[in-house]
Amino acid sequence: MTTLLDVSALVRRFGGITAVNKIDLAVTAGEFVSIIGPNGAGKTTLFNLISGLDRPDSGTVQFAGETVTGLAPDHIAARGLARTFQHGRVFANLTVRENVLIGAHTRQRAARWPALPIGAALEFVAALIRPTWMRDEQELLDQEVRDILGIFGDRLLPRIDDPAHSLSYANRRRVEIARALALKPKLLLLDEPTAGMNQTETAEMKALIGELKRRGQTILLIEHKLDLVMQLSDRVVVMDDGIKIAEGPPQVVRHDPAVIEAYLGHPTLGAAEKVVAAEAS
Amino acid sequence: MKTRASIWTVRWLVAVVAAGLLAILGESPSSAAEPILLGVSGPLTGSNAQYGAQWKTGFDLALDQINGSGGIKGRPLQYVFEDSQSDPRQSVSIAQKFVNDPTIVAELGDFSSPASMAASPIYQRAGLVQFGFTNSHPDFTKGGEFMWSNTVNQADEQPALAEFAVKRLGLTRLAVIHLNTDWGRISKDIFVKAAKEDGAEVVATEGFLPDEKDYRSTLVRIRESKPDGIVIIAYYADGALIARQLRSAGIKLPVVAVSSVYSPKFLELGGDAVEGIYTKANFFPEDPRPEVQTFVKAYQAKYGKDPDTFAAIAYDTVVLLSEVIKQYGTERKAIRDGLASIKDVPSVIYGRVTFDPQTRRVLGAKTINLVIKNGKFALWDGSKPAIN
Amino acid sequence: MSSWFDYTINGLVVGNIYALLAVGLALIFGVSHLINFAQGSVYSVGAYVGLVCITYLNTPLPLTIAIVLASCGLLGILIERIGLRPLQGRTRIAPLLATIGISLVLDQIVQLVFSAQPRALPSQVPDWRFVIGGGSIGALDLLIAAIGLASAAVLFAFLRFTKLGWAVRATAQDREAAQQMGVDVDRVDSAVFAIASALGGLSGLLVGMYYNNISPAMSFQATLKGIVAQVIGGVGNVPGAIFGSLFLGLTESYGIALFGTSYRNLFAFVILILVLISWPNGLFGGRRSLPPEPLTGTFIAPSRPVLLPFWLVVALVATGLLLPVVVTSPYVIQTLSNAWLYGMLALSLTLVAGTAGQISLGHAALLAIGGYASALLALDLGLSVLVAIPLAGLITGLIGTLLVYPAFGLRGHYVAIATLGIGEIVSLVILNWESLTRGPIGITGIPPLAIGKHDFYSAPAVYWLTFAVLVGLALLQRRLLRSPLGRTLRAIRDDDVAARTYGINPNRYKGLAFAFSGFVAGVSGAITAHLYSYINFETFTSQISVLALTMAILGGLGNVFGAIAAAIALVGLPEIFRVASDYRMLIYGLALLLLIRFRPQGLFGTV
Repeated sequence: MTTLLDVSALVRRFGGITAVNKIDLAVTAGEFVSIIGPNGAGKTTLFNLISGLDRPDSGTVQFAGETVTGLAPDHIAARGLARTFQHGRVFANLTVRENVLIGAHTRQRAARWPALPIGAALEFVAALIRPTWMRDEQELLDQEVRDILGIFGDRLLPRIDDPAHSLSYANRRRVEIARALALKPKLLLLDEPTAGMNQTETAEMKALIGELKRRGQTILLIEHKLDLVMQLSDRVVVMDDGIKIAEGPPQVVRHDPAVIEAYLGHPTLGAAEKVVAAEAS
Repeated sequence: MKTRASIWTVRWLVAVVAAGLLAILGESPSSAAEPILLGVSGPLTGSNAQYGAQWKTGFDLALDQINGSGGIKGRPLQYVFEDSQSDPRQSVSIAQKFVNDPTIVAELGDFSSPASMAASPIYQRAGLVQFGFTNSHPDFTKGGEFMWSNTVNQADEQPALAEFAVKRLGLTRLAVIHLNTDWGRISKDIFVKAAKEDGAEVVATEGFLPDEKDYRSTLVRIRESKPDGIVIIAYYADGALIARQLRSAGIKLPVVAVSSVYSPKFLELGGDAVEGIYTKANFFPEDPRPEVQTFVKAYQAKYGKDPDTFAAIAYDTVVLLSEVIKQYGTERKAIRDGLASIKDVPSVIYGRVTFDPQTRRVLGAKTINLVIKNGKFALWDGSKPAIN
Repeated sequence: MSSWFDYTINGLVVGNIYALLAVGLALIFGVSHLINFAQGSVYSVGAYVGLVCITYLNTPLPLTIAIVLASCGLLGILIERIGLRPLQGRTRIAPLLATIGISLVLDQIVQLVFSAQPRALPSQVPDWRFVIGGGSIGALDLLIAAIGLASAAVLFAFLRFTKLGWAVRATAQDREAAQQMGVDVDRVDSAVFAIASALGGLSGLLVGMYYNNISPAMSFQATLKGIVAQVIGGVGNVPGAIFGSLFLGLTESYGIALFGTSYRNLFAFVILILVLISWPNGLFGGRRSLPPEPLTGTFIAPSRPVLLPFWLVVALVATGLLLPVVVTSPYVIQTLSNAWLYGMLALSLTLVAGTAGQISLGHAALLAIGGYASALLALDLGLSVLVAIPLAGLITGLIGTLLVYPAFGLRGHYVAIATLGIGEIVSLVILNWESLTRGPIGITGIPPLAIGKHDFYSAPAVYWLTFAVLVGLALLQRRLLRSPLGRTLRAIRDDDVAARTYGINPNRYKGLAFAFSGFVAGVSGAITAHLYSYINFETFTSQISVLALTMAILGGLGNVFGAIAAAIALVGLPEIFRVASDYRMLIYGLALLLLIRFRPQGLFGTV
């Protein structure tokens, strides 16, 4: 078992608030790890730091054996990390198919040509000429998109050529996950995939994530719905106020007094709200 | 929401239709049989619209006089003014319109060099005279044998201005502030050369952009060069702004301005600040020349104000072309040849106009030295400025 | 050394004037996220209302001010109510276009009523002057400063202490949330437009008195300066707008001091770009590391594009080709050739603004680069026109991309302002780099369009050439849009954060978009130069940039066919309305407003 993601002593401050405070976290290949914690605990900030959208003030992130701290998100994605977003960030004017194809962006031959002017220029020329290999590649990817969408039953396939802005909220979240899968990620970060979903949709999502786990997908999940977390996770990390307060198998964490404290009687709720505000602005 | 929207729709439509009708009715036909038509391409909207408006006053006055005395061999002379906004894209389309309209016998304009010269190839190819009466760009008439201009030649104007400033007014260290367009730049270059030949030193030249309104910092820079006189090469609106800001910059040096500021607007916009400014003009109401008297009196009677240089050159142009048509006929080629051979047409600006058939321009614009006194242009009495 | 003091004072005096304009723009932006291109027109209306009061009604100063405030406030309410509210909840870009249309209409009305001649606006403020350094400051300078500060203070108090003020601030922060909490956002919009327009009108009055000179043409420059000033401060930030104005005034003044008058704007715009790069959210803007998540596709309207079937494209191209055979009027053919040249510009802009989401307000500069490059290649190096034009396109693509490259890190409106600044810089470099560009004299004798010994002089020849180039470029662009690259570009437009997360390096693709866009615009400019035979720095003005953006939006962002259709419409309408003589630009403005009213997503929809 190799360590896929290794986060050590990660710190991120916003103004006077430390949103992520010396977090250590390791995920091994094939593992399913969940992060739980009250709103404003710093979970999404941690995701932003891992995926490169935000830079840590100190600490390191290692992914697939390389230090990726402070690398641009596109470079980290190219190394095999995909994530979804808490509120959903689909490409509104792209069709479902195109959204998922963007997930496969880094796997396209032309897009991998070095980001020098020459590589970019060649990509441009290739796009205009559309040589056979490119058409074949796109056909292959297109088939893959159908396969991925197939996981969601008939939720998305009939809408494959609809623009994303015309989809329901739940469907947009599904498109996000489909897009992430198209990257063929070594590690998949899911940020509250069931947020805003009703019970049926949540159950469906749970089954889907379970299926991904069965296929051996390494997953790091942020989630509030504890039964989902408890059923699927190999390990649960609990964060509060930017600090890791507990870590262990679901059954152990569930009975940890510190966790119960954090969830039930939150002593510094005001501070947490400030963190939320800082993250939002 | 739906009904509200449709009410507004109706109002919009009504507005548009009304505006359209107004426009068409405004164009009510008053044409007598077979008028002779001149095409005019110039700015009536956009940032140069004011100059097009001035042209119209000159054209209309000339036509009143020509058609009042029977027109050209019984046919009235008229013009078709197409608004180009001084935009080359539109002046090119207008050129196609004019050259393919057989009733147009000659074309006047456009205002700016980019707009005029973009259209020149079309006029040249079609053999229609393009009479660019404000185009001082030296290459304008080089566009072909159909490009003519009676604009005051800067090779005439600027040495005379330099002579006025240096020899007559006795200024020796000049600072020049000029409009940084082809016209302003060429004028400045000729002026600087002439002033040096006359023995003066040019201590500063500052070129400003057409849209500028604030010259205070430019004037500080000019003050630093320690001139004993300031030369303004600009049109009247900019010239007035510069004059006003000279005051707030605390500069009390003698100021000499080119004849393009000769306009009642210069006095109106400049107020007290233009008092004492020296300038030149190609005509002056007190000038006893009969052409000037006919023009100025009639202009004052028709518009209730004094004419400026733009109105005068527009007037001159129509008078000139009517004379050419009278003598040589309405055929396009004949008009071109007529311009080359016609002699001594009475003119406000030149006294008598005769073209140089090689350059297709006119030399020998009349110039008078003026000074602004008591809020009016007055003949310069020969007194030199008190040097502070 | 004392001169530096004078330069500073002068800079502050001018900045003072910009501030009055910028505050109104900032207020509207803060609430509606809208760059109000009509602000300059309200400013000129204010000046003319003042003219009527002072010269015809002989009102004393306080009454003059009151009348100007009231009438322009009312005008603001009308603009919001008639021009903008019907577009609410539609696309975010339609209102921008609407303000351009409103500005056209207002300017034309002012000109029709008061004529194009500049008028003197006598100052009603006593001409007291205080000597400061080498120059002096007048009572009017102080009044302008006082009114600037007072209006900022009143505004502050209004936003802070009144109920409507709270509503305005709440709406500015989160429109939907405010609405849910019972804030009447329509009323807020009305109030904001009333206040901003009243301020705009007042600044027109004061500036008019200051220069003793008002004209209908004064609005465009005023809008540009106001926009630049408020962006330096941070869009939508009122104190920032005041600071940005003073900053702009000072840079202009120091620019003159250091380099001379013709470098004034060059220096100011270079500083503007540097400020934008260093502080991507303006000097007073908050530093945000990530845009909030639901910001997806804010600028782009979700809409379904009208797709043309292949047979229709073929039919249209065939019609286009045969047109000169049927239509014999060279005037119509020439006008259509112009439309094709503008069509290329619109294609170019719709690619960067529509497909890649980088709104550019400096696209005329690409025409200028292409035109100069081709003219100089043909004249100085003796290349044949046929070689010079595509080469000029390549040069434009390269230079254009390099120029915009520093601005790749910017977002939304900041990109627009950066490109506006870059466009001005290009034009001013052309003006000042005399050894290469012949400065203000321009380039004459540019050889005509020709293939071998065959000249393209006749209108149909020019038509076929421009049409063929346009169709060729349009098909290339269409092919690009349908390739994986097109998908990537649209993804960056819709949400660049998500795009980066999925491995897209935005700079690489923005670079490609600008390069292709530069090529297309450069070819258009090059053909134009050979067609005109003479160009100078005034040939490709910033108004053309605004027109190009109008075309790109009107056609439907990113829509290739839409861009061409919009070019035909916007080049053709002013020609059609020639029958209306003096009213033609007014009718054109009204027609534009109608088009936006009924097709806010553009004629053919966003692709």
